[in-house]
Amino acid sequence: MLFTLPYPLLTIFLLLFIGGCQPEPYSQGEVLYKYHCENCHMEDGSGLGKLIPHLDSSRLTLSDPAKLVCLIHNGLPVNKLTGQKMPANLKLNEVEMTNLVNFLGSKYAANPQTVIVTDIKKMLAGCQTD
Amino acid sequence: MTNILRFAGLALISFLLLTGCGNEPQRLPYLGNVEIKGADTVYHTVPDITLTDQDSQTYRISTLNNKIILADFFFTSCPSICPKVKKQMLRLYDRYKDDDRVVMISHTIDQRHDSVAVLNRYAHNLGVDTDKWKFVTGEKDSIFYLADRYFVSVIEDPLAPAGFDHSGRIILVDKARRVRGFCEGTDPESVTAFFETVDKLLKDEYQ
Repeated sequence: MLFTLPYPLLTIFLLLFIGGCQPEPYSQGEVLYKYHCENCHMEDGSGLGKLIPHLDSSRLTLSDPAKLVCLIHNGLPVNKLTGQKMPANLKLNEVEMTNLVNFLGSKYAANPQTVIVTDIKKMLAGCQTD
Repeated sequence: MTNILRFAGLALISFLLLTGCGNEPQRLPYLGNVEIKGADTVYHTVPDITLTDQDSQTYRISTLNNKIILADFFFTSCPSICPKVKKQMLRLYDRYKDDDRVVMISHTIDQRHDSVAVLNRYAHNLGVDTDKWKFVTGEKDSIFYLADRYFVSVIEDPLAPAGFDHSGRIILVDKARRVRGFCEGTDPESVTAFFETVDKLLKDEYQ
């Protein structure tokens, strides 16, 4: 019976099967988060007092991938109230940025939007650099 | 019948063994070199150097009124492990904030950038009571020597993130400035286990 199934259908079954095994939809993004963001923003995104914001508190930024991309890329200058700054992440390439933005969106954004690499390229080109 | 006797004998032996070993709870070790000088035992201690806190108050830890100390070394612009260690220091703070026998001290290793004003702003934004948790600076050489005596490695390294390479240990010191335990501030599980170490010292020191 299995052998009589047409190949495209079999492929779909296989994909569904593999997809069903993944616990997180954006696991590459999660790995990138651990490596580039977690030291400051913490595993659960809770940050540190008023020094490092909780990712929940920036739901709007996270809902707008274009803003988020530029924020991650350029970082933030020293905040006069806290003395803290967010470092720039110029080493993240477009594919990594796509994975990271999708992961953050899915986890923290009020209205998550999924992006693809070509979107990210345009967004990065639109970022203002200091 | 013989079975019952055998069982009773075994139970008696186990009971004796268990009570024999478990009677006296083990005290925390004294870390570092211990020297015997005549009739005296000299333990490794952390030096009683002058520190300046986030309110410009200078003091020595010997003037802290017999408190036990939880100490770490950090700097406010640290982009690597410090926020994680501070998160764990916050867990310790929450646990002991109403216990007057405990004081917490965070030493900056970046004296050039972390002025008293910078430390004050940092403490304020962390949202902690600075009577309980002090953020201190001091002479650079003294602080680096202090870190060494706390068994915390601190190295100025231009290649490290923001210029310093340091360990994220949180150190427990008793009323006589002897080092009695530590945990890795980057590892939440290590800190959870450390709660017991701190509780044990409190029990030993304030019987």
